[in-house]
Formats: sequence, C-alpha cells, structure tokens
Amino acid sequence: MSQTGIQVEAPVERSGTSLDASIVVAVELGSAVLLGAFLLSEQTAIVVLLLAVMGAIFGLLQWRPAFEERIVAAFHDQQQLAIALGAVIVMVYPFFMQGSSYALHLLIVAQLYAVLALALNFQLGSANIPNFATGASYGIGAYTSALLAINFGVSFWLTLPVAAVVATIFGFLLGFPSMRTKDSYLALVTIAFGIVVHQLLNNFSWTGGANGLVGIPAPSLFGHSFTRPIEVLGFRLPSQANFYYLSAALVGLSIIAARRLHNSRVGLAWNALRADPLAARCQGIDIVWYKMLAFGVDAFLAAFAGTIYAFYVSYISPDNFTFLVSVTIMTMVIVGGMDNTLGVIIGAFLLTMLPEKLRIFSDYRLLFVGVVVILFLILRPQGLFPQRARNYGAHR
Amino acid sequence: MDALLMQHLLNWLVLGSIYTLIALGFSLLFGVLNVIHFSHGDVAMVGPFIALAIVQAVTAMAMPLGASAALLVAILAAMAAIGLLGVLLDWLVIRRFRTSPAMMALVATVALGTVIREMIRTLYPQGSNPKPFPAIATGVIQIGDVVIPVFSLIVIGVSVAMVAALFALISHTPVGVRIRAVAEDLSIARLMAVRPDRIFAVTFFIASAVGAIGAVFFVSHAGVVRFDFGIQLGLIGFSAAVIGGLGSMNGAILGSLLIAGVDVLVQVLVPDGASYRLVFIFMLTILVLVFKPSGMLGKPVFEKV
Repeated sequence: MSQTGIQVEAPVERSGTSLDASIVVAVELGSAVLLGAFLLSEQTAIVVLLLAVMGAIFGLLQWRPAFEERIVAAFHDQQQLAIALGAVIVMVYPFFMQGSSYALHLLIVAQLYAVLALALNFQLGSANIPNFATGASYGIGAYTSALLAINFGVSFWLTLPVAAVVATIFGFLLGFPSMRTKDSYLALVTIAFGIVVHQLLNNFSWTGGANGLVGIPAPSLFGHSFTRPIEVLGFRLPSQANFYYLSAALVGLSIIAARRLHNSRVGLAWNALRADPLAARCQGIDIVWYKMLAFGVDAFLAAFAGTIYAFYVSYISPDNFTFLVSVTIMTMVIVGGMDNTLGVIIGAFLLTMLPEKLRIFSDYRLLFVGVVVILFLILRPQGLFPQRARNYGAHR
Repeated sequence: MDALLMQHLLNWLVLGSIYTLIALGFSLLFGVLNVIHFSHGDVAMVGPFIALAIVQAVTAMAMPLGASAALLVAILAAMAAIGLLGVLLDWLVIRRFRTSPAMMALVATVALGTVIREMIRTLYPQGSNPKPFPAIATGVIQIGDVVIPVFSLIVIGVSVAMVAALFALISHTPVGVRIRAVAEDLSIARLMAVRPDRIFAVTFFIASAVGAIGAVFFVSHAGVVRFDFGIQLGLIGFSAAVIGGLGSMNGAILGSLLIAGVDVLVQVLVPDGASYRLVFIFMLTILVLVFKPSGMLGKPVFEKV
C-alpha cells in the first residue's frame, strides 16, 4: 500500500483501536463459523469435536479472565462496528446454510427461545423474581393469535400485537399474587399458573383440546407468502428463511428492548429489587408495581415468540407449552448468565441445539442434557457470561 | 346416599394420606436443609419400580412366599433402597446447592428429576410403557351397604402410623432433637456438637423412604405405574407442603387433606371433573398463597431493616 504513496489517514484515537476492531471481527466471524459448522455437521465425531472446541474456549476464558476482559473492552470500544457486523452476519447467514431447511429450522427455534429467555431475563436476571410460567405466556400468545387467525381470518401482523396484549393482561394477573408472596412461594404460584393454563388448553373444546389447533394460515408480507422460498440474486433460500428473518428481527427488537430497559430507571429499579427488596422500598421504589411490570414485560415478549411459533409450525398443541418448557427457558437464562443479554442468547442457542444435535444418543438425549445442566450449575453457577457491573461512561 | 358419601370420604382420606406422605418429605427437607428438593416426587416414584422388580424376581425364582408376603418384602426393600437413593443424591448433587440462591437449587433439582425419570425410562426394561402394579390388598369389608376396601384401610392406617412415628422421632428421640436443632440454626447446632452432614443424610433417608411408601400407595391406587408419574405426584405434594407452610409438618398434613378434598369434590361435583381436577387443585394453591403468602401454618416472615 505504501508504494502507491497514498496515505489513508485513519482517525486513530488510541493505539488499541485497530486491535479492538480486529478482535471484534475475529470473535464475531469465529462464532459464526463455529455455529455454522456445528449446524451443518452430520457426523457425530465432528459434533463432539466442535463441542470440545467450545468447551476449550470457555475453559480458557474461565482460566484467564483477562482474555474475557479484553474482548469485552474491545466490544465496548467498537460498539458500532460490532453491531453492524453482527447485523450483516445475521442477514447473510441463511445463504451459507447450503439450503439446509433443517439448519434454518434449528436457527428459528433457537431464536424464538432466545426471545423467551430474554423475556424471562427481565424477571429472573434483572429483578430476581422466579417465574416458571414463561411457557404459559408463550402458549397464551400462540393460542390467541392462532384462534384469531383460524376463526376470524385475522392477518398475522394484526394478531401479533393483539396476542401480546392478551398475554400481558394475563401476565399482570399472574403478577398480582407477587405483591405478597416471594421466593419459593412465588415460584409455586407461577408453576401452578403454568399448569392451570396447560390443563385448560388441554380441556377446552374451543382450543382443540389435547389435539391442539391445526391449519394456521401462513402469513404474507407485501404479497409474498411465507410458505414460498425466497429468491434473491439467483440464490434460492428455503421457505424457512422467511421465518428466520422474522425471528431474527424479533431477537433484534428484544435486544434493543433489553438494553433500553436495562439503562432506564425501570432497569435500575429492578436491579435494586434484586439487591434488596426492603432497601429498594426504603428508597421509594414502588416494588409492587415494578414486580408486576416485570411479569407484564415477560409475557409481552413471550407472546410475540408464541405468535411466530404458531404461524411457523402452523400446528400447536398444549404439549408445546408445558411446565418443562418453562423450566427449559429458565435453564437457558441461568446457564447463559443472569442479566447478561449476550449470555442469555447463547444459553438459548446452546440448549436448543445441543439436544437436537445429540440425536446419536437418541434415547439418552434428555438424560444427557439433564446431567449437563446439573454439572453446569455445580461447576459454573454464575453462567457462561456472568452478570457485569453497570458501566457509566468511562471504559476499562 | 350415605354409602356414597362414605365412599367419597374414604376416597378423600386415601388420597389425603398419599399426598401427606409425599408432602411431609418436602416440608421436612425444606425445614432442615432450606432447599427445595423438587425431584422428591421422582425419587419416590423409583420406589414402585424397585418393588415391582423385586416382586417379579421373587415370583420368577418361585420362592415359597405368598403373593402378598412377597409384595410386603418388596415394598420394605424399596423403602430402604429409596432412602439410600435420597442420601446418595444429596451427597452427589443437592448438598452442593445448600448455600446457593433458592432458584439455583430449584432448577438443579428439576433437572435432577428429569435425569431420574429418563433413567427409569431408558434403563428399566420397557421403562417407557405403563406397567400394571399388583394390588396391595383386594378384599372388601361390608358394613350395611357401605363397602370399605381393605386397601383403603391399609393406606390410611399405615399413613397414620408413619406420621405418628415421624412425630415421635422428631420430638422424642436424640436424632429428632438434632434434626430440630439443625433446622433451627445450623451454626449453633454445630457448636452443640451436632454433625450437620449426618443429620442431612438422616433427613434425606427418612423423607425419601416415607415418600417411597406414598408412591407405592399411589400406583397401587391407580393400578399402573409409569415413569412420569413422579412429576405430577411431586407437584401435588409440593403444593400441599407449600400451602400448608413449608417446614411445618402439621401444615403438610393440612395442605394434603385440603388438596385431596378439592380433588375428590371436583371429581364428584363438577361435570367432566376428572380432566379438570388439576386446574382446581392448582387454582386452590394460588388462592391460598394470595391470602396466606407463607402458607396456612407457615410462620409469617417479618422483615427487619
């Protein structure tokens, strides 16, 4: 470059900027490649090898926290680059999936779970309110939109907000007992709520009973039906790509919501609630309102995910929304790292894809996942990415 | 009508006894360890499988034992085995969560429950199929037009005896004093030369063994045993313990009787009640906790600044 004599004056602010940028690019591309290889690998040996690589990376981060600090600092400094690159990777990702609809399906499900985990994170992570009913809110959202679409022919785009509002009302209802109960007692209230919802869906005739609802019409946007493949510039993506972009947009929205809430008074109030409810109350924080708000926000986002799920698979039954689904979502939050947006998303991806990719263990799949979760809680209870101290302005 | 009423009353007591045997374990474990052992129901549900295996082994070897004697031996052996299983699980997993936040222990034990269920399903011969469980007793006693199954009497009798024995153990024996001491204050108990680890092991043994009887009665009542029965039984037992007030043994009994009462009432009074029974049971749970946030007999917690 220097031979040409043209010097490009890079706006260098500090000596580490270019290094920061390369760290960001390397980490993002590396993760994308790792995930892609994991998704597309058919052979057991490769899956296990990739898992070992992931484990080694986390082992390294655990062993030398300085690496983690460095990466975090790099992302902090190069925030715009990180976001832009991340968005580009998400946009072009389906083109590298070799037209595999299975890989896209996994990505969609993982993204929906990421939204659910982010929803729960407002409660469990930010405010330390146990909620075993995220699965129920997910179900309420899915059923509301499916019923509207099947019985009244309402379009997908309209059912989205309606389902969210309905689920939020139920979320506030569920939050009502949280005024007085706490800890294990509140956990039981949410468990009971989840079971009541599941049982009612299972028994009412207008929800299709145990058989569920079938034939939910596919949404369409600007005349493009979501059942049709996407064709861009000679590339042909399977029809799943429609829902991939839709759920990716929802994840993006959830991340923005999470960040905005975290940085607002609401997020601060939730954190105060987590630190000490009594002290928070003494500071004049209306803890009842903020607790109920956490339930509402959780239900709102979960209903979005539920709606997309219902329209994506076009068939829902009560068994998609059991207590164990709620537990899975909770596990994702804890494994990923409470109150850490990125950690929660990675937790969701890991716990969605791990059981799917471990089909070789066929019968022993759930057993294996259960053992992994327990080991994880014992060995790294703070989660993959521990919650970080609030950072006001000054970096490093 | 009287005969029918009697039948329902008996049914209520049987279900109440079964739920009590499970709920007591939850309450005892929470009182002593301050940990919610969510997989308690699943641990207990291993009991019937062990009993079933022993019965089959005994019949296969054609031992000179009557069918009911074989079943009795099998149940006692299953009790002991489940007690030991409880101790083992505490040692392997649960003790590591004693000091961590309550939610961690809850999630870990839910995962433990999944592991236990899956182990039964995959390791027990044809574990995913429901298996008929032999009736503990088949005879009936007829008084006037009231028919009382011997099984019901056994369930109620054994449960009452177990509860009485448990109360006697807790309040009148040296072990019981230690258990109460640990439940009261762990560090003071340690200063009084109580070894908490032993007390934890003893508590786990007792709770799991009592739970195993509850599970055996439950499946004998249902006639079949399935690997995933544990989760429902565990949830009901947990609810009973919580609405009674976690840590209170009286509360566990009261909660169980209340839940069993709703269970029977719904099945009798509500059309298609059998499919809505869980709805009513858990609605009751929510309602009780709304009005009594720490259970009916639980000590209200006062926060001090």
